[in-house]
Amino acid sequence: MRIEHWFYSLPLRLRSLFRRSQVDQELNEELSYHIEQKASQLIAAGMPADKARRAALRSIGGLEQRKEECRDTRKVNWIQDFLQDFRYAARTLRKSSVFTAVAILTLALGIGANSTIFSVVDAILLRPLPYPQPDRLVRIWESSLKYDSPRNVVNPFNFLDWRDRSQSFESMAAISDAVTNLSSHGQPIAVPGMQVSPEFFSILRVAPFLGRAFSHADGIPGQDRSIVLSYELWHRQFGDNRSIIGQKIDVDGVPCEVIGVMPKGFSFPKMKAEVWTPLPLERTDDYKSGRYLTVVARLKPGVSIPQAEQDMLRVIDFTQQARPDFNKNWSANVVPMLEDATHRVRRPLWVLLSAVGFLLLIACANVANLLLMRGTGRLRELAVRSALGAARSRLLRQLFAESLLISLASILVGLLFASLGLSALLALIPQSAPLPRTEPISIDARVLLFTFFASLFTAVLFGLVPAFRLSLIDLQNALKQGSPRSGVGGHQTLRRIFVVAEIALALLLSVGAGLMLRSFARLTSTDPGFGTDHLLTMHIWTSPSRYSDNLKRSQYFDRILTEIRSTQGVQAAGSTHFLPLTDMLSGSCFAPADQPAPTPAESPSAQFLIISSGYFQTMNTALLAGRDFEARDNFKAASVAIVNHAFVERYYPGQNVLGKQLSVCWTLEKPAEVVGIVADARHAELQDAPEPTIFLSNAQAPMYFATLVVRAAGDPLQIARDAEAAVHRVDPDQAISDVQTMEAVFSNSVSSPRFQTVLLLVFAALAIALAMIGVYGVVSYSVSQRINEIGIRVALGARSSDVFRLVLREALALSAIALVLGLLTSLALGRVLQSLLFEVTATDPATLASVAAVVLAVSILAAAIPALRASRVDPLTALRYE
Amino acid sequence: MSKPPDLLQGTLDFLVLKILALEPLNGWAISQRLTQVSGDVLQVSDGSLYPALHKLEQEGWISSEWKPSENNRRAKFYTLTRLGRKQLDQESANWNRLSAAISHVMRLKET
Repeated sequence: MRIEHWFYSLPLRLRSLFRRSQVDQELNEELSYHIEQKASQLIAAGMPADKARRAALRSIGGLEQRKEECRDTRKVNWIQDFLQDFRYAARTLRKSSVFTAVAILTLALGIGANSTIFSVVDAILLRPLPYPQPDRLVRIWESSLKYDSPRNVVNPFNFLDWRDRSQSFESMAAISDAVTNLSSHGQPIAVPGMQVSPEFFSILRVAPFLGRAFSHADGIPGQDRSIVLSYELWHRQFGDNRSIIGQKIDVDGVPCEVIGVMPKGFSFPKMKAEVWTPLPLERTDDYKSGRYLTVVARLKPGVSIPQAEQDMLRVIDFTQQARPDFNKNWSANVVPMLEDATHRVRRPLWVLLSAVGFLLLIACANVANLLLMRGTGRLRELAVRSALGAARSRLLRQLFAESLLISLASILVGLLFASLGLSALLALIPQSAPLPRTEPISIDARVLLFTFFASLFTAVLFGLVPAFRLSLIDLQNALKQGSPRSGVGGHQTLRRIFVVAEIALALLLSVGAGLMLRSFARLTSTDPGFGTDHLLTMHIWTSPSRYSDNLKRSQYFDRILTEIRSTQGVQAAGSTHFLPLTDMLSGSCFAPADQPAPTPAESPSAQFLIISSGYFQTMNTALLAGRDFEARDNFKAASVAIVNHAFVERYYPGQNVLGKQLSVCWTLEKPAEVVGIVADARHAELQDAPEPTIFLSNAQAPMYFATLVVRAAGDPLQIARDAEAAVHRVDPDQAISDVQTMEAVFSNSVSSPRFQTVLLLVFAALAIALAMIGVYGVVSYSVSQRINEIGIRVALGARSSDVFRLVLREALALSAIALVLGLLTSLALGRVLQSLLFEVTATDPATLASVAAVVLAVSILAAAIPALRASRVDPLTALRYE
Repeated sequence: MSKPPDLLQGTLDFLVLKILALEPLNGWAISQRLTQVSGDVLQVSDGSLYPALHKLEQEGWISSEWKPSENNRRAKFYTLTRLGRKQLDQESANWNRLSAAISHVMRLKET
């Protein structure tokens, strides 16, 4: 039945599509044949010829409309109508170029902002990680309620137990990040690296570009003399030389065989690495304490996260019983890798995406208003088209075609904005700031698709509403009354609703931006507890083979500092194992020496830092009591410690802590005597309040690595070269990395709140600008509507100030409603922002009040222009104006 | 712009198919025949006839060709197709069932 139907109708439809004029010609002929027959029948009945012809025409009942009905039966008409609508729409839009330009620019702003932010959200939050079956990848952390640390790095012994005893994972690998000193063309270079279990690459399922990845044998202690290079390092340092595979290169002073090169762009979330070396782990006392490993695993097929968690709880039972002193109150936390990589940026990114979403809504409301305004002016045109046989649905389609054209044009302009916006936005992110993912952020097919759907959505939103509203108007009446200003009362209400929504949304965005700005100002004016000016920092990682024991290392660091201090332009120098504001911290348990030895499970804990003498002086951190580390506190002398103010407050309030002996878990061999108290300084992050901290001497408990801090008399970057030379005078093979000023470190540490604040400010400014256009539009339109009335008022003696107030009152009423709505919404949505704010509550009255005042002032300003124009109306012109 | 209600529309389609089942006719002749057969009972405006014819043609129930008419002018003649014949049979059956049911109801005595 269906097929037979098509057998008849398909040729007809093709014919009406491609031979349209002929088909139309036949339609004319058919109908005129009928009319002529009818007329001659009437003439035969005795009617005069001209009268008969009119009667015949009438009998058809609207010839053009009948024709259109016949055309409609062809079902392919919509294609032609569609094209015709678009041609017509393009023509009308070209004719009113100002309207078109404003509409396209407004939408393009909204679309561009959305595409920009979406490209970031997509690249970071939505896109799967670049490994096969990435959803099976998890990270496993130790977790402790006591230390409020749900994602704590892992102890090696615990990792070995997890690996051997868990059943939910195909395999599990441990990672320890380390800076590696390579020697390249005789020059030492420091390269970020990862020490990994041999299973690391097979868990990620990434095969090397050249050579092989690690095998089990590479992980055996003593045989771990192999290295895998990143493509980028291979390209940069080894000139794409394929014969590098199998050759030996010096890694931390030890010759290692290059066994593989990873593919271009290979990376691991949140960790920067250009070389990978094996991490040999065994159950020896060396690995019994300390938590410092990152663990990655691949779930077995069919195993869910909750199942894996259950499995891990079973293993945790074992580790807690096997080493209760160390593991009591420590559990494990299994987190999908993507979520783990992005959990800190998730909320800020969604906030930004919602912000641009609101911006797009404002843009839509604005354009909808423009269209409404235009639509009322076009009532007559529509009435005429309707009288000529256009069905109501056809008129709707016509209006929608215009909206769609505007949308399409704004996609193109919007994408241009987006690509400009994205490069500006990426420039906001400092090079050294840690990004959760390293894959490039760009405007690609997915972003294009998003943009397309976003604009389609806007076209429907801003296009259909006014079109539908317009179609409710009695077109016949519009034609009869002749005045374009009649019968549009309903529009003004709709337009006012749009403007109220615009102002309310703009207020919402501005409140968000205001809160962020206030919070950012608070954050950056926080005193970190040290001076950031005139400070140069540089990181050195000692070669384990050359400085194998603590004594050698302590002497080495001493010599370096002495050499730097004697450099011209240097006022002071010191070292610390973790630089402040780099999100790195270390903790240790401790106990007074006269009490039983401390254990991680039972004893109190404090942050600890290994520093050199002169560190506090260099950092301008005040010594409150006692003394700094001195030359006499050498490796062989009795151990000494310095504590900070917060430590005294927490553990020895009101007591004299100087002279007390502390057993610190980090260096349990000998207790340390507290010799000094220093002022508090912020450490891991600027927003973290200072924690109780124990400082140990680098001369007595040296680390493998240290960050040197150097106070310069002048510009710190000026002395960078001399300071590096000083290090190389001590050891020409020492690689130096991360040479930067403390001011740069400070700036980087607040880069993500700055990023959020700047973006929200930009969006809020755009939102206010758009809302201003909206207010201006609606008020000036209502002035033009009331010009007669105003003219009469003036003629009857109203002063121009009365008229000014009359017009302004409308804008004030709209803004007042919008302010109430916007403030209520801000209060309701505030808690979403709360976690992004520093020392500012999301309902901060000062911010809310000042933002409301700004928005109100701006909308009055926008209304003042048309109000001023209205107040200068000449009654004669106004009354003649019809 | 307003369309006749569905019942009338369906009825008009049915009548046109029935008329064309006898012989191929042009639009004018169909309109004359409609007035003849239905008299004053069914008022079919000439205007609604042509959209109906075009719709039936699109459905594949009737086909058209240009032929000289009785007064030797070119006119568009409509013919019932095989598909239209089937449709007519089906509609006749429906119609008979419906009218039988209605007349049955009408015969019920009021008590």
